[in-house]
Amino acid sequence: MLRSLRNFSTSRVARQVIGSAKGETVNSTKYLGQKYHVIDHEYDCVVVGAGGAGLRAAFGLAEAGFKTACVTKLFPTRSHTVAAQGGINAALGNMHKDDWHWHMYDTVKGSDWLGDQDAIHYMTKEAPDSIYELENYGVPFSRNEEGRIYQRAFGGQSKEYGKGGQAYRTCAVADRTGHALLHSLYGQSLRHDTHFFIEFFAMDLLMENGECVGIIAYNQEDGTLHRFRAHKTVLATGGYGRAYFSCTSAHTCTGDGYAMASRAGLPLEDLEFVQFHPSGIYGSGCLITEGARGEGGYLLNSEGERFMERYAPHAKDLASRDVVSRAITMEINEGRGVGPEKDHMYLQLSHIPADVLKARLPGISETAHIFAGVDVTKEPIPILPTVHYNMGGIPTKYTGEVLKKNEKGEDEIVPGLLACGEVACASVHGANRLGANSLLDLVVFGRAVSHTIRDSLTPGTPLKPVSKDLGLESIANFDKLRNANGSKPTADIRLAMQKTMQKGCAVFRIQETLDECVRDITKVDESFKDVKTTDRSMIWNSDLVETLELQNLLTCATQTAASAAARPESRGAHARDDFPDRNDAEWMKHTLSYQKEFGAPVTLDYRNVISHTLDENDCKPVPPAKRVY
Amino acid sequence: MFARRNFSMARRALMNYGKPQNPSYNELASRIEPIKRTGETIDVKRARLTYQSRKRGILESDLLLSRFAKKYLLTFTMEQLDEFDLLLDEADWDIYYWATGNYDVTPLPEKWKELEILKMLQEDAQNNKGEILRMPDLH
Repeated sequence: MLRSLRNFSTSRVARQVIGSAKGETVNSTKYLGQKYHVIDHEYDCVVVGAGGAGLRAAFGLAEAGFKTACVTKLFPTRSHTVAAQGGINAALGNMHKDDWHWHMYDTVKGSDWLGDQDAIHYMTKEAPDSIYELENYGVPFSRNEEGRIYQRAFGGQSKEYGKGGQAYRTCAVADRTGHALLHSLYGQSLRHDTHFFIEFFAMDLLMENGECVGIIAYNQEDGTLHRFRAHKTVLATGGYGRAYFSCTSAHTCTGDGYAMASRAGLPLEDLEFVQFHPSGIYGSGCLITEGARGEGGYLLNSEGERFMERYAPHAKDLASRDVVSRAITMEINEGRGVGPEKDHMYLQLSHIPADVLKARLPGISETAHIFAGVDVTKEPIPILPTVHYNMGGIPTKYTGEVLKKNEKGEDEIVPGLLACGEVACASVHGANRLGANSLLDLVVFGRAVSHTIRDSLTPGTPLKPVSKDLGLESIANFDKLRNANGSKPTADIRLAMQKTMQKGCAVFRIQETLDECVRDITKVDESFKDVKTTDRSMIWNSDLVETLELQNLLTCATQTAASAAARPESRGAHARDDFPDRNDAEWMKHTLSYQKEFGAPVTLDYRNVISHTLDENDCKPVPPAKRVY
Repeated sequence: MFARRNFSMARRALMNYGKPQNPSYNELASRIEPIKRTGETIDVKRARLTYQSRKRGILESDLLLSRFAKKYLLTFTMEQLDEFDLLLDEADWDIYYWATGNYDVTPLPEKWKELEILKMLQEDAQNNKGEILRMPDLH
């Protein structure tokens, strides 16, 4: 029965006993109808997701003596953290004199003053320790000639509070930082006896009286459902890039944690802030580095015009990311897009001599050939602004504890629930994430979560009884979707959602297009009631999993559109052509979006940005200023 | 974050000042055992491999493997499925570099040199039809 629950500890005996130890595995089928086989587990803590943040939290908890389960829909080394190549920021000062206060300043400025300064204070101050910890866990950081950790330059990083020029602050493991990080963290969690439930799809949070008491998940291997009871539940499920037509993230990034929190009645914060890269291959999403334009590549619309000359007469195709992204989208909106649907642009490289292409842009020819079928020496590459990162998420404190707003309008901690990684909004990225700050976010807040729990819970504390039919609604939804016999296949609704979001809620935002997007995405959301699945099995039912994922994505998409339409200012990644300026007097606040249940209308609320640090003697807050580079 | 192509071989070697990584990747990777599954029927195995080829860590291998799976899984014998299963246990970046013949980035291990599945994947990755790759729908 529990063959699939694997303990990867070195002890051979332990291999079989997961869940049956101490007799706490209970067959709860009788409480939840006879249709599904439901198994209960009791843990001190359960972590959902096994990427960088989830693994860091999980082994930190196991290390502190908690009985910890890590539930993940992917084999841990296949989490999307593996894709991160850039690196991880920390003011180690290995290349030049550096100071975490400078890193703190850069991050606040990068966030366009929407970041919470207490969390940014915490993250940048803890960064060096977190890096040394990672080194101890075996992450093979690249070295400089003195044998210390090499640090490279990255956009947005400066010395002397923006006045001292480019900082070299980004630690990396050659070009496989994410891969090395993930493998090392996974190795650590095995050493500390974390129980992994691999290829389990987490469906919902179990909530009772406003407290999170665990999760319910579907085991794809044998078709059983599992309720994990725990004192503390940690969501570390990653972003929701797949809500858009063009995104650089893997197909697993479906915002499951966001939607689980929303269905539990909790707010999501700042979803309108979505980071785009100007040039992903149309349809595929694979990145074409900005270096392509740096080496002389230029953009063309359907009339063969180099339109960047109109938008940025001086910089032309070398204008900054946001300018290029916006220009592309405006051209498409004005009907000058290329392709049968006139919905993308061309990046021309064929005028660059082949040997220059080969020497300066190695790999681009290959990427374009493999993923777009294009020979760059003869044809242009079809490209489109592409989603790269979601700044928004489940609002948390710098401790990782999830927040909600109570009746008095104050922040209040949701008991039993924590979040870290891309799914969380601490908020350290505010309106715009800086490169190489996301991996830092993962490890610092994954670690913070484990410390928070360590300081507030004793291992082995008995769980209090909860109602026996907890999770019934989730099972009903699961059953409904497994047997859904409507008229629209999952893939059709998914594509409609992705195109709607790409068209109406990408980089070019004005009231009219945003309002239209809200109307359209609401229609798509409603059409989910007609969803049709064809696979009725319980085992490895990808059709069902992708439908559950679509349901999660729709929650993220509708709330993103509604949040964007309600913010009449330009801040970071949310750039409005009809409101080109930042409006600190009225809008220096976080958006909170709610839906009572899946498909319900979105309601919005706001909460103040935290503009003080943890300790003003240690670190002064950065007062708002114009964000110019 | 940025694609591999940002760092040419020369630059990469420079970055480490010619010193080897400490420890090397393979040492790390070798500690992590994939899940071994036995006694599956061919249908269950196909269903699992469908899921696992559509749910990868990086977009590049998502696209290559999901298309490959849709094209071939139904025609594969048990032996071929087992071979594909072994390939899926490898790290995503390695699969991508092997599929695209970038052995200078990740050398091809002995055991993969003779296997049919990887050759088929490499042929697929040539994208001879000049298509824009998207993940195919399930049905």
